[in-house]
Amino acid sequence: MNDALVIIPALNEERSVADVIRSIFSSAPNVDIVVISDGSTDNTANVARNAGAQVIELPVNLGIGGAMQTGYRYAFDKRYHFAVQIDADGQHDPADLPRLLDEARQHHGDMVLGSRYVQKTAYRSSRSRRAGMILLATLVRMAVGYPIHDTTSGYRVVNDRVIRLFSEYYPIDYPEVEVLVLLHRHKLTIHEIPVEMKERQAGVSSITMFKSGYYMLKVSLAILLEILRKSGVKGEARS
Amino acid sequence: MNVFVIVAIFAIVFLVAVIDLMRRRVLMEQYSLFWLGMGLVLLILSIFHQWLNPLADVLKIAYPPSLLFLIGFLFLFGIMLHLTVVLSRLTMRSIRLVQELGMVKAELKILQTEHELTEGDRHVN
Repeated sequence: MNDALVIIPALNEERSVADVIRSIFSSAPNVDIVVISDGSTDNTANVARNAGAQVIELPVNLGIGGAMQTGYRYAFDKRYHFAVQIDADGQHDPADLPRLLDEARQHHGDMVLGSRYVQKTAYRSSRSRRAGMILLATLVRMAVGYPIHDTTSGYRVVNDRVIRLFSEYYPIDYPEVEVLVLLHRHKLTIHEIPVEMKERQAGVSSITMFKSGYYMLKVSLAILLEILRKSGVKGEARS
Repeated sequence: MNVFVIVAIFAIVFLVAVIDLMRRRVLMEQYSLFWLGMGLVLLILSIFHQWLNPLADVLKIAYPPSLLFLIGFLFLFGIMLHLTVVLSRLTMRSIRLVQELGMVKAELKILQTEHELTEGDRHVN
């Protein structure tokens, strides 16, 4: 068993999951991978198992937050020191993973965030999307007191303190931004380092035009509620 | 026949229905208290509806029976809020259960594979 666990939630991705697993193993051989098959009805679980990943099959679909939290609970149960979140659609380059893990091992922050905005990288996005991200970044900055440039990045390495917190509570949907403020409330730090982001290779963003309004509303509300929770919430781990 | 009689009849039928559901254990006690409370308050206020008049005056409500409806509405708001709290709790619990079940199944699969391997070894020996 290695000390770092890569968590990959997958819903009916029998065609792509093996490639993702192989590319992670080839860039970072010293990690374990767990695939959370989130109520898949295809062969995702077997394909992932044959590619060398551990597999947890959820009997019903929980959505991204519930699936991701399963991975964190698994990491907590198995006492992994680090957990890694990486988007399986080819947006994130596993070649950056050893660098992110190194930063985490050197205790540069409880969460190491792979960011596309810290330095100029090749990533481009639409104007409305950028506007939304600037708004979120402003809200997060107000909440945590220091700038986080790429608040929606799903490329993250966290240490055991964060694993413990996430195994207790993880947002059900659109977790990325809310989690940053949650960490701050628990006095956990976030360290951002630049990574290369590619255009999405397969699939569509979970955030479509129709959903983007709900997304902004939900995430802004979640941040405001986090600010109101200063005193802590029953059932959350003290960290 | 006036509105208070109709409300009183409704409240009685409603209370009987709620109690019957509880009797048959279709409705759990902790979720029935709100309904019983609402039924009783509506029943009492429709029988002693003269109690509504001074309150309606204070609130500048010209037609006292509408105070009855207001009280019913407020109860319904309370009940619906309570229901969504219960629903949220159930959602969190079912997520936790699905996660645990998935993890237990994964563990079971590993144990089964190990077991089959040792069984195989015994066969060879």
